[in-house]
Order: sequence, then structure tokens, then C-alpha cells
Amino acid sequence: MSNQDYYVPHGTYWPIIGSIGVSTLFVGFANQMHGVEWGGSVMGLGMAIIVFMLFGWLGTVINESVTGMYNKQVDKSFRWGMSWFIFSEVMFFAAFFGALFYARILSVPWLGGADNNMFSGATEALETSKYIWEGFQATWPLINTPGATGQSGVEFSTGFSLVNTWGLPALNTGLLLTSGVTLTYAHHALRAGHRNALVFWMVATIALGVAFLGFQIAEYGHAYHEGLKLTSGIYGSTFYLLTGFHGFHVTIGVLMLTVILYRIQKGHFDADNHFAFEGVAWYWHFVDVVWLGLFIFVYWL
Amino acid sequence: MSYLVIAIIIVILFSLGSALLGMLRGGKEGSEKMFKSLRLRIGLSVLLFALLMLAGAMGWIEPNTTMLPTQ
Repeated sequence: MSNQDYYVPHGTYWPIIGSIGVSTLFVGFANQMHGVEWGGSVMGLGMAIIVFMLFGWLGTVINESVTGMYNKQVDKSFRWGMSWFIFSEVMFFAAFFGALFYARILSVPWLGGADNNMFSGATEALETSKYIWEGFQATWPLINTPGATGQSGVEFSTGFSLVNTWGLPALNTGLLLTSGVTLTYAHHALRAGHRNALVFWMVATIALGVAFLGFQIAEYGHAYHEGLKLTSGIYGSTFYLLTGFHGFHVTIGVLMLTVILYRIQKGHFDADNHFAFEGVAWYWHFVDVVWLGLFIFVYWL
Repeated sequence: MSYLVIAIIIVILFSLGSALLGMLRGGKEGSEKMFKSLRLRIGLSVLLFALLMLAGAMGWIEPNTTMLPTQ
């Protein structure tokens, strides 16, 4: 295609297959929630249809790209599409980090009577929190948030060590940062046209990502065994939501890097034309930074 | 110490954002900008990690492993 007109894709059946997949998934999920016997298997079928649709649809896009059907205008729209996706990801993690900061810096101290609110009184004798939740102290990590179930006499927090910052979290941070370094070497090799080096560094990056996930599962097992659960107060909730969604993103990142490695083997990219690699590389660096933020704010500061 | 850590995080976020703008621009120039920004961001991240480990080992900062009073 030599002109730069707006690219209009041909008719395709993939969107309807995606709709069928999502509908099947949710019908299965709803029935699973109601304890229906076939719920789980229908969910699995729905997931399989979605995976089939993803491979088919994205495979078609890749095929159109390598056969030269796309012009500069399409390239630009891919870049904008990736940027908006990234924007939504940044907002997603900003919300969870925001929840963590809000709980730690504002709401937990308020419950303990900080600043001037209904839980604090003019004199110590008037402090409402003392009567509602006897023995409550605004500490962090708070693993038993006071509420309807946290009445007087219930232990709100314990002093035992929940996570050992020097152990797996530090090791995992090292692993993920090393994967960022290897990916940067891969990026350089791609731009310089060093194919073998590119493949080597990509394999290293994927292996480090998989190792991270393995240790993260071990860390969860350890934390759960120690008594830290999703229900362990505001600390348990924010800890598992942040690290859990991060782990999910690493999983997606590993899958995307694997697809990119496959496309490298197929010879889809060259030094000047490799947007798919750039998109995935940015995503991986982003997930890396999110972990660094997690490591610092959950485990250290 | 905490302020230094946060300052480095902010620079890391800026270089990540700069890489995004490079990717959005595309072409030779954008590709170059993206690569350089990502290289800066990983360099700073490794530096920050090393700094944290050193600060922890020297006792300049304490990890959140046990209960810490918020006020």
C-alpha cells in the first residue's frame, strides 16, 4: 500500500468469536458461583475460546503487518493505542498505590484519634476510639482493621515479623532488575542488528521473569503460612492486591516476551522496524518500576 | 535518606515517561530516544536498589518487617 490514506480493515469474524468466548466465560462463572456442577468446565471452555480468538485475531494482524499491508498511518495508530493502554495501566496501579498511601498516612492514624475527628476528643477521657475499640493503636502494618467484627478486646495487630525483607523480596527485586538489564541488552542488540545476541538476551529475560514468578509463589506460601491473608486487615488487602496484580502483569509480560521471541525467530523485526518489541519492552520496564515501587513502599519506607 | 530514595524514583518515572514519548513519536529519532530513556531508567533502578541494600545494611533505614508506630 503506497498511499497514506486511513487504513480500513477487511471484514472479519474474530470479534463475534470474542463475544461468544466472553459470554461463555461469564455464564460458566455465574453458574460456578451458584454451585452448578458444569459451571467450572463451561468457564474453561469460554477461556479456551478467548485464547483461540486472541491467537487468531492477533495472528491476522501480525500477518497483515509482515505482508506489508500497513502504512505509516497504521503504525501511528498502533503507537497511540499502546499509549492509551499504558495510560490505563498507570491509572490502575496509581489507584492501588493511592489506597495504600491513604490507609497508611490518613485513615489508620484517624482511627487512632489523630488530627481532629470523631475519634479524637478534647481530653484523653473523651477519646471515642478508646471506648469503641479498646486497646486499638494506630500502627502499621495493621492486620486487623477495627470495624463491626473488631470489637473491644480483639487483638488488632501483632508484633511478629510478617515478611523478611532481606529474603525473597530482595532476591526477587534483584531478579526483576536483572531482567530489565538483559532486556536493555536485547533492545540494543536488535537496534544494532546482532541477531544471536538478541535471542540470547531475550531468553535470559524470559527465564528471569519465570524465576521471579516462582519465588513470588513461594513468598505467598510463606506469608500465608505465617497468617497473612487477604482478610488480614488493610495491610493484608493492599499487600495481596498490589503484589497479586503485579504478579499477574509479570505473567502477561512473560507471555508477550515469548511471543516476541517467536517473532524474532521468524525474522519479523529489523533494526528500524520493531514496534511490537518496543511496546512489550516498555511494558516490561513499567512492570519492573511498579515492583521497585512496591519493594520500597511495602517493604521499606 | 527517604527523600533521596523518592527523588530517584521521580527521575526513574520521568525517564519511563520520556521513553513512552519516544515510542509514540516513532521513526529513527523516536526509537533512539526510547532506547536511551529506558537505559537511563534501568541504570538508575539498579543504583537505587544498591543504595537501598547499602542503607539497610548500614542501618540508615529500617525495613517494615515488624509493627511500626505511625505517629
